[in-house]
Amino acid sequence: MLPSSLIVIVATALFTLGAALMLIWGWRKGFLRDLDAQSRVIFDDRDWRLARPWESPAERAEREREFGVSLPADKGEWGGAL
Amino acid sequence: MGRRTVSAPDATQAFGATALEAGEVSAVATSRGLAPEDLDVRLRADASSRTVVLVLFSVAVLWLLVGSIFGDIASIKLHWPDFLVQQAWLTFGRVRTAHLHAVNYGWATAALIGTSLWLMPRLVHAELKGAGMALVGGVLFTIGITVGIVAVLMGYTDGMEWLEAPRYAAGPFLVLGGGLVGLSLFRTVAARKAPHLYVSVWYILGAFIWFPMLYITGKWPTWSGVESAAVNWFFAHNVLGFWLTAMSVGAAYYFIPKVLGRPVYSYQLSVVGFWSLAMFYSLNGMHHLVGGPLPTWMITTSIVASVFMFIPVVATGINLHMTVVGRFGALRYSPTLRFVVLGALAYTAVSVQGSFTALREVNRVTHFTHWTVAHSHVGGYAFVTFVCFGAMYYIVPRAVGHEWPSAKLIRWHFNTVLAGISIYVIALTAAGVAQGMALLDPATPFEQSVIRAMPGLYGRTLGGLILTVGHFVFAYHFWIMLRMPRGVPRRSRPPFHDAQPVLYTREAAAAHGAPAQEATS
Amino acid sequence: MTRISLIALGAFAIMASAICLLVLLPQAMLGSVQAPPGLAPYTAVQLQGRAVYMREGCIYCHSQQVRDPSFTTDVDRGWGTRATVPADYVYDRPHLLGTMRSGPDLINVGQRLPDLDWHLIHLYNPRSLVQWSNMAAFPYLFEEKAIAQLSPTDRVINIPGRDAASTTAIVALPDAIALAEYLVSLKRQYPVPAASQASDQRVGGSHDAR
Repeated sequence: MLPSSLIVIVATALFTLGAALMLIWGWRKGFLRDLDAQSRVIFDDRDWRLARPWESPAERAEREREFGVSLPADKGEWGGAL
Repeated sequence: MGRRTVSAPDATQAFGATALEAGEVSAVATSRGLAPEDLDVRLRADASSRTVVLVLFSVAVLWLLVGSIFGDIASIKLHWPDFLVQQAWLTFGRVRTAHLHAVNYGWATAALIGTSLWLMPRLVHAELKGAGMALVGGVLFTIGITVGIVAVLMGYTDGMEWLEAPRYAAGPFLVLGGGLVGLSLFRTVAARKAPHLYVSVWYILGAFIWFPMLYITGKWPTWSGVESAAVNWFFAHNVLGFWLTAMSVGAAYYFIPKVLGRPVYSYQLSVVGFWSLAMFYSLNGMHHLVGGPLPTWMITTSIVASVFMFIPVVATGINLHMTVVGRFGALRYSPTLRFVVLGALAYTAVSVQGSFTALREVNRVTHFTHWTVAHSHVGGYAFVTFVCFGAMYYIVPRAVGHEWPSAKLIRWHFNTVLAGISIYVIALTAAGVAQGMALLDPATPFEQSVIRAMPGLYGRTLGGLILTVGHFVFAYHFWIMLRMPRGVPRRSRPPFHDAQPVLYTREAAAAHGAPAQEATS
Repeated sequence: MTRISLIALGAFAIMASAICLLVLLPQAMLGSVQAPPGLAPYTAVQLQGRAVYMREGCIYCHSQQVRDPSFTTDVDRGWGTRATVPADYVYDRPHLLGTMRSGPDLINVGQRLPDLDWHLIHLYNPRSLVQWSNMAAFPYLFEEKAIAQLSPTDRVINIPGRDAASTTAIVALPDAIALAEYLVSLKRQYPVPAASQASDQRVGGSHDAR
């Protein structure tokens, strides 16, 4: 039974090895570095400055200190109501 | 300013335009050293995907209604078995299959493909490449689903669960349609201008690589015997994890941070979550066959992998939940966030439940019972469908250029579907446990497993009907949205910003310093 | 993550390895399973019945598998005398193992209920024989015919409780007869060769009872 499926076992091992090598390669190339910037790629300047109605005054002050004066949100800015 | 108008003709009506038109663009640009391209890019991205997204969403909503009705009929038939028995196409076995295909491949798939097509240009800061190609692909895919469902209702089936649609009738449409959409997405990523590929991109690209592999494996015509069972559940489990879940998690990774205006809690964890999901989820399928006539090592492999699912689930869960922690107040203001955050919670819940259900000691009670059906609805509805609703509440206004006309309808929609799915899941889980306990005791006659599950089956019908009401409310609202002239809010209705979100008053808004809304458009 | 190739190839490789492990490897191992001597291939009419079974979605309420007695009570319940093994299914294309038991398991239903007429009546209206049943009725697999017009080849079924003075009779259509033929053919009681049971078939057995 085992010999007949040897090819399959080897293939499984190779594919798994391949996946592992891809990750190692990606890591060595630096794709996993600077993750903080990667996580911010969906935001544009406006996103940081929009006044959010649920912010506390302290949160808002902190955001304004970092990103500048607040911008008013559009109608429906948050998807649906308000 | 002129440049934006030229490059995105409809952009003036889109969200995000007004704030900068208020004369602040230069201030932004100079004070932060940023060019207005930022916004320009996003508006052009949105404009490029608008048509195909709206077409796919419309198709999705239609399938949602059709699928709900089929689901209700199937549910009723289990407690009133003589309901609609005269017509072959309305028999339980066919209607149930039509429901599964309509909601999974019709509704959820179309909604998630639409969401992915809308997200991708935004994520990579480029326009959608091959939008026409994607549109043709979406239409072909829809034809394939329709052919499949009609075939099943007419009695043509390939016979394996989740794979019933005939391979030679529906298959070509699905393969070609999905392929064209995938090609459009890959071309868009290839033309990217963003410096990084955000985590959502991985999930969407992954889904479009995985689904063809799964579909071809599942539909390969030579499987027989218990091997076809292994293939069957390899496909049926993975189509959830690598198609619906992948795109839904991708969407959640976008909408939660985007609305809140804060990055995900830990980007490292999102890397861990993505690759460990691929690693472990792909080996889960055989836990649908625990105790079955398959080699034990296969089933054991899947049980072990199911337990290992804690790693991606905890990683993704921490990321999505911790991003919201401290900002739960935002859920009152944003239906998008409300749906997506609840969907993310359901994802964690359904995954943990799934890991436990795979354990032999639990499985010997729950296998072959309604528990599994309830479980699949936590995943397919409370998670995937909620994320789809959230995404659509965010995307549709940006695609048609005006806001949802009624907060009341949104509230109705949210409340009915939340109540409906809660009743559904609780009733059917209880029914499953009662059924499973009865089956496990040889002294209890089989009929008791039917009789004891019966109250839960009535409860499921109640929950399902409430869901259907919610879906019609949503479909009506969506229809109004499409019929309103583009970019011009209808004046005959109260201005939307006068409506109050749930649990929220204007005074509270003033106290928080919410900016006054100007009816500029 | 800035490379499409990393994501695309990585995703492909992981899924490919899973397909190797859970699809191709079992295929290599199970492909050589021989039909036990006691198992006959399906006849043409049984295959037709099997197609009806798939078409009407019987699988969504009925399983076709007996699990090991050490794991569950399938055998105690009288659904079989032994756990089913891969060799029992070599003629099944595709499998109909099922994942739901709204109704009882059917892999040995031919043993328990060998009467073709019982099945025909039950298909026409399950509740005429089993009061608590919530199974779908399949009246469209039958035809109501005037007694005067009956031909000798018609298979008339006698539904309990039906008006005896009726001028019509219920006649089973070929699909109903084929389905009933398939059901009564379902028997997996013959002894299976020790080899196919022992090799890797200790389902839910003691060695991995967690």
